[in-house]
Amino acid sequence: MENEEKILNPQESLRIIRETIDVAKKGVQENGFHFLLWGWLVALASVGEYYLRQVRGGTDPYLIWAVMPLIGVPAALIYEWRRDKKHHERNLVREWYGLVWLGFAISLILSLVLAIRNQVSPVPLVMTLAAFATFMSGLLMRFRPLVLGAAVLWIGAAVCLALPMGVHVLVQAGGIVLGYLVPGYMLNQKARQHHV
Amino acid sequence: MYKELDPMLLSQLRLAIMSYLMVVREAEFNALKDETGASAGNLSAQISKLQEAGYIDVEKTYRNNYPLTLCKLTPKGIDAFEAFYADLKTYFKA
Repeated sequence: MENEEKILNPQESLRIIRETIDVAKKGVQENGFHFLLWGWLVALASVGEYYLRQVRGGTDPYLIWAVMPLIGVPAALIYEWRRDKKHHERNLVREWYGLVWLGFAISLILSLVLAIRNQVSPVPLVMTLAAFATFMSGLLMRFRPLVLGAAVLWIGAAVCLALPMGVHVLVQAGGIVLGYLVPGYMLNQKARQHHV
Repeated sequence: MYKELDPMLLSQLRLAIMSYLMVVREAEFNALKDETGASAGNLSAQISKLQEAGYIDVEKTYRNNYPLTLCKLTPKGIDAFEAFYADLKTYFKA
């Protein structure tokens, strides 16, 4: 922008707004890291629980879930810390994105406690919450595959109603692959194309 | 009926700064310089005008002993940008 005080006409004003917002939005794009990280962890833990419970007949197969945050939380925190060091900007969309998933995490912990206390399957509750957070992420990033992924998770939660508790984790694994991992890889591909 | 446009935002660089800050809530001076392609002197002058108009807040601080200038939109600036965009649209209605 060489001109010190170029006075714009309405067409030029609109063009400047669109071009600048397009540039700024590129910084808002996520690369799908968290969807891939948690997608793989949840899918593996779900299949692992099913295997330990149904095949090996273990007494405490759900303990596999304790391993998941031990890997996921440090990995996610290190990733965010490194990204903050690289990009100093505060970003409105990213802030909302973080708040949506913070709300998800709080609701998830409460739901797990309620499900265990009432001796009901936590899977439909977890899938419903994950669907909502994924749906909001898709809207915030304007990325339709995440919105469709959320729909898959909602359908998965509803399907659980018709199935015995023992196979709920397999529905969860399938839902996570379609609802998290597929959109996550698509987001990653999109980010690579835009060098995000 | 065409609405009169806010002259503060009819400058190319000032409008680019405001548009960028509408998406990125807070930005460093150097980030604004990179994204707008403006010279440091020109950018500094236009930021001062936006600050005097109450459209942005400028915070001068330090990071790792280096001076850091942070710019962010004020509520008045957000209202002004939204009003400008609404007024601008009146020029494109059939």
